[in-house]
Amino acid sequence: MADVQLMGLLNATLQAATLLFIAALGELITEKSGILNLGVEGMISIGAVTGFMTAINTENLFLSIIVGVLSASIFSSIHAFVTVILKQDQTVSGLILTILGLALSSLLGKKYVGKKLMVKIESISDITEPSNVLEVLLNQNFIFYLAILLMITTSFVLKKTMFGRRLEAVGEDSRAADSMGLKINKTQFIATCVGGAFAGLSGVYLTLSYVPYWTDNMTSGRGWICLALVIFGGWKPYRTAIGAVLFGFLEALVPRLQTYGFDLSPYLVKIAPYLITILVLVILTIYKEGKTGAPGNIGRPFFRENR
Amino acid sequence: MNKYILSKKTVVNDLATFYSFLIGLFIAFFIGSLILLIQDQNPANVFSLMLKLSVGSINSLSSSLNKAIPLILAGLGISIMNSVKLWNIGAEGQIFLGAIAVNLIYININISNSSLFIVILLASGFIGGAVCILFPAITKVIFGVNEIITTLLTNYIIIGLTIYLVNGPWKDPKSLNFPAAAYVGEEVYLPTIFGKLSSGFLVCILFVIGAYYLKEKSVFGYEMRIAGGSAMTAIYAGINAKQKAFYAMLIGGGFAGLAGAIELLSQTHRVSTGISQGFGYTAIIVAAITGMRPVGIFLVGCLFGALTIGGAVIQTIGVSSYIAEIIQASTLIGALIAQFFFTYEIKGVQDG
Repeated sequence: MADVQLMGLLNATLQAATLLFIAALGELITEKSGILNLGVEGMISIGAVTGFMTAINTENLFLSIIVGVLSASIFSSIHAFVTVILKQDQTVSGLILTILGLALSSLLGKKYVGKKLMVKIESISDITEPSNVLEVLLNQNFIFYLAILLMITTSFVLKKTMFGRRLEAVGEDSRAADSMGLKINKTQFIATCVGGAFAGLSGVYLTLSYVPYWTDNMTSGRGWICLALVIFGGWKPYRTAIGAVLFGFLEALVPRLQTYGFDLSPYLVKIAPYLITILVLVILTIYKEGKTGAPGNIGRPFFRENR
Repeated sequence: MNKYILSKKTVVNDLATFYSFLIGLFIAFFIGSLILLIQDQNPANVFSLMLKLSVGSINSLSSSLNKAIPLILAGLGISIMNSVKLWNIGAEGQIFLGAIAVNLIYININISNSSLFIVILLASGFIGGAVCILFPAITKVIFGVNEIITTLLTNYIIIGLTIYLVNGPWKDPKSLNFPAAAYVGEEVYLPTIFGKLSSGFLVCILFVIGAYYLKEKSVFGYEMRIAGGSAMTAIYAGINAKQKAFYAMLIGGGFAGLAGAIELLSQTHRVSTGISQGFGYTAIIVAAITGMRPVGIFLVGCLFGALTIGGAVIQTIGVSSYIAEIIQASTLIGALIAQFFFTYEIKGVQDG
């Protein structure tokens, strides 16, 4: 029994982690360019609802994923326009993106509440009850593997390519980057839209695989946990992945505690992931004594002074 | 070669925030109209119906102003915290904990003088809101933990606590299909002024004046601004920036908690998940759109209260109530865009 239960836990951990990780990785890329986007929750929602709507109407999964990713990316361009081009407050703009994204997705998804999805992103094998680690891995769908690929690629791009070095330069010291002739606005705009696309992929993973239906506010704060994950990961893709697995484990463990014989209120147990996120954030901030590895220019708009 | 650069205007129009708001509102109604058109609705009909049903009669007008109370109070709390350049995204949770605190005191204490009892309950709401932000405040001032994320995550914790209370210890056996705590007695209901307008609105006006005085006229307000400005200036001026930030956070949380208390004593009369319907989030828009000015928060709060009521009633003709939220959020985006043209100028310069 223990094996099947343990593997079930591992399986749920990886699924929850995939969802959190992709959006967190997107936010990491955006923040590397010096732009803070607090709209992750809204972007995931937009990706989730548009992907779900497309899947219900066309039953074409590939198209649904593309639509979800693109809509979230286009949606994030609002933030890019307001903060990068118009230099307005990033906190305010990101928050509106969350509020607007949740409202817009509820409006769009109204007719789809309770509808059953005929197609779903299936795992790459047809194992129903994985009994060892290999089977758990085979039980994941292709987005899980895509997430791993994105992690490796992002880390490589950030460290080894010209684009990555430019992104880092823009985010660390945009004034110096500007005098080197780098295009600040263009870099930040692209980074923000890439972040949106990643959040959109998280969104389609949510509605087309993780919980294959649509209800209002179904992101339930995951976007905010992603923001904490970026801090947890110290703006590094691999560490962010470790964080995502840890938080995924929590999300998977909490509903199982009762079956393991812990007598807990199911209502109180739902609070645990948020409580632990806060505690981890606090411990981490104390541990790093403020040296979190955040890009130097994060949150500050860049414009050339009139000399 | 011609290059274009941005520079901040040295003189910004005093009414820039107001004009930006108007432009934002115009853009928002334009976007709202487009969405309605896509949904095969006539925008003119929908908007005139919203107007009629939100301010057209004494009853609807007073309902709108009742809805404005939590938006204004929570918005004021957000603006006070912004004086020290901190963000309070946790007003939603603070509203809930304010209401929970009221119920806790109501169950355990009995005071025969109902006016005194109401005042004590309102004060408990304020304290409840302050308690809600205590942990984010302590971790912010001592360790520098990001208050945006801690206050936001606190919302989920407090709403989870509310769900636990109304399904467990406080569950009213008489409320069968909707989990809620028992109703409070009529002796602690806030009396109405006219129509349905709760006397909580007077409390609200009092706090608008209080917040204005605190932010703009008091020594503490001045110190908050310095503490929120540059760390070095605060040190030279002998101001304990961390202490000011801590108090600003507690007061900000208290304002939102008071909103929860008024909502409980005048509208819902019992604790349930219906205490707040996203008021804490809408309040962020209200505060940001006015540039954190108390009087502006009062006016925009009233307008957004009417929009919320309008949004709720048009559901009867099959229009989603989310249209109101979308208009509110779009107004802020529109205002931000307009603000750009008031604060920056684009100059063409000769290169080299």
